[in-house]
Amino acid sequence: MLEISDLRFRYSRHSPTVLDGVNLRLGDGEIGILLGKNGSGKTTLFKNILGIETPSGGSIRFDGENLLRMNRRERARRIAYVPQDIRFGDLSVYDTVLMGRVSYFGFKAGREDQEAVERILQEIRLEEYASRSVEALSGGERQKIAIARALAQEPRLLVFDEPTGNLDIANEQLIIEEARRVAKEKGIGILTSLHDLNQALDLGDRFFFMKNGRILSSGGSEIVTEELICETFDAHVRIVEIEGKKYIINGGNQK
Amino acid sequence: MRLSECTEALSKQVWRLRRKPQPLSEYTDLSDFRLKHSEHKNPVYQAFPGARAGRAFLYQNTRPVSEKTTSKTLSASKIHPPRGLVKYVRLPYDSVMRNRNTFGQNRERRHMGLLLLTGAVVALAFVCLFVGSSNMTLSECFSALAKKGTAAQNRIIWNIRIPRVLAAIIAGAGLSVSGLIMQTNLNNPMASPSTLGVSNAAVFGANLSIIAFAGGFLSTGNNVTNYMVGANPYSTSLMAFLFSALSILLILGLCRVRSFQPGVVVLAGIAIGSVWTAATTILQFYATDVGLSAAVIWTFGDLGRATYRADLIMAVIVLAGIVFFSLMSWRFNALLSGDAAAKSMGVAVNRLRFLSMLLASVITAVCVSFLGIIGFVGIICPHVIKKLFGQDHRVSIPASALSGSILLLLADTLSRSIGNGSALPVGAITSLLGAPFFLAIIFGRKGGRG
Repeated sequence: MLEISDLRFRYSRHSPTVLDGVNLRLGDGEIGILLGKNGSGKTTLFKNILGIETPSGGSIRFDGENLLRMNRRERARRIAYVPQDIRFGDLSVYDTVLMGRVSYFGFKAGREDQEAVERILQEIRLEEYASRSVEALSGGERQKIAIARALAQEPRLLVFDEPTGNLDIANEQLIIEEARRVAKEKGIGILTSLHDLNQALDLGDRFFFMKNGRILSSGGSEIVTEELICETFDAHVRIVEIEGKKYIINGGNQK
Repeated sequence: MRLSECTEALSKQVWRLRRKPQPLSEYTDLSDFRLKHSEHKNPVYQAFPGARAGRAFLYQNTRPVSEKTTSKTLSASKIHPPRGLVKYVRLPYDSVMRNRNTFGQNRERRHMGLLLLTGAVVALAFVCLFVGSSNMTLSECFSALAKKGTAAQNRIIWNIRIPRVLAAIIAGAGLSVSGLIMQTNLNNPMASPSTLGVSNAAVFGANLSIIAFAGGFLSTGNNVTNYMVGANPYSTSLMAFLFSALSILLILGLCRVRSFQPGVVVLAGIAIGSVWTAATTILQFYATDVGLSAAVIWTFGDLGRATYRADLIMAVIVLAGIVFFSLMSWRFNALLSGDAAAKSMGVAVNRLRFLSMLLASVITAVCVSFLGIIGFVGIICPHVIKKLFGQDHRVSIPASALSGSILLLLADTLSRSIGNGSALPVGAITSLLGAPFFLAIIFGRKGGRG
């Protein structure tokens, strides 16, 4: 579905390279997780995929189409975004989700847009919140609304920047489950970044280890090794396997 | 079971209405059910207008204690839970969902608000029309309005007051909407219609026209002798507009390099604006006493300068602006979520920002060029509206426009009734009138959202 090859990006001609030849592939309904230190270029990569920033080289293809040539509205119908810092105006939840349809209706929401919004609100169990102002909601609820708004774009791919950044554990689980449901039930691919490695291992289908604007290694959970994590994060961990599942524990063999 | 009940039962959501009251789990977020004002003696829960019948569940702590079936009429009105017992109330599902194609939560309230504002504009327009220094009675005003009064009265109404009232309505709407659009686009509550240095540039243009060219090939617009001689009264306006346009193009051109980052635009506006102010100061330093006073008087906003032709020009531009902004209201709403989110939703943020700032500034430039500086409308009105109606641009754009008209009509009526024959500068009155109201809205608990 998504094919990125040799993607390069820097903010201006004089600034350092942020993305230095990124190659990435993600299939339909797959959950891809970017792992890397802060500043390794994860958010920048997301922004390039979403068309928020324009790459300085390389190509991004989506179902064989060149994403960089696509107009903004076309792109918004394929790829949706749940940003890291979620901000809304003081619209109602319903209107906030309806906003996600703007790439379909342009000026004025029609019947099918409203139906889509109602369907999504029901799906994500937010219908009781519909007429509340988003400003009055808690962090977890706002995150859910941001997901609902992204789903209203009826995308094939959901880009999810640090979904669990500042949530408590209950909401964190809720959001992770939601992401899993979206991918498995609706076949929407998800590209996300997570800091919790165990969570990542639990959720992801494919893993992309990123460092200094490059992808060090990518693949399924079999590629996750102590050495790779050490190289990516400069941190020492141990991996234990319980009933065929990998778990990552802090600390390990310090050199 | 009656037929209507059967159809009700068949409807998709009915299982929700029929479901048993569930205990709220510890993890349920209670904010959905919490009393709005817990200190309120008799808490009242209101279902939304148009709500269907359903059961409202009353909870004491997390335990459901009783339920109230709300009939169609009841749910449209209020639910009074027993006092002291109930801590949470869950309203029927439909009472919350029934808001499709609305302005959100308070559809009726907002429609009503817009209607009220429109009514206020019309009413104030008439008040403004009938108040003045010529001591005409109400009946005289009406007959003059029907062109049946004396020639002098007809002229006062049709040639002086109507253009003036129209100018107040148009310029008020234009300045207020421009302010709102600037604030949204620059994500800055302090942004105003003249953030791009429009007013400063207009003042410079007008000063140049009045001071440098007075008595020359251009008239001053305020210089009575020239005016009487019949020199072109629009030349000062034209100069003011030309320089505002120059300023707009300069700033937008500069900011294009930085893809219209809000912070950059604001700072560029301040910098360029101060250049115009400096140039004006230098110009005024060399001015004669008469020229200087004429130039200073020009800067006092005065609706009396309006003519039908000026009104028409302003109306065309303001109307075009409001139509454009209204069409873009969903995009502006998206912009409230930040540039990145808006872009990801398919909004061409840079182009939108460029076009709307250009249009907002042109509206301001035209109004200022014809009428002089009328400050504060573009800051007060949008803020009051956002507090009262929320930020949704589908509502706040028309509401801001109407409220701007109201403020300017009020200010003009006041300026002419306390000025004892000569109208006080309307720009000063807008601030005097608006500021206390503004502060009350910001600091007041009622009506405040933030």
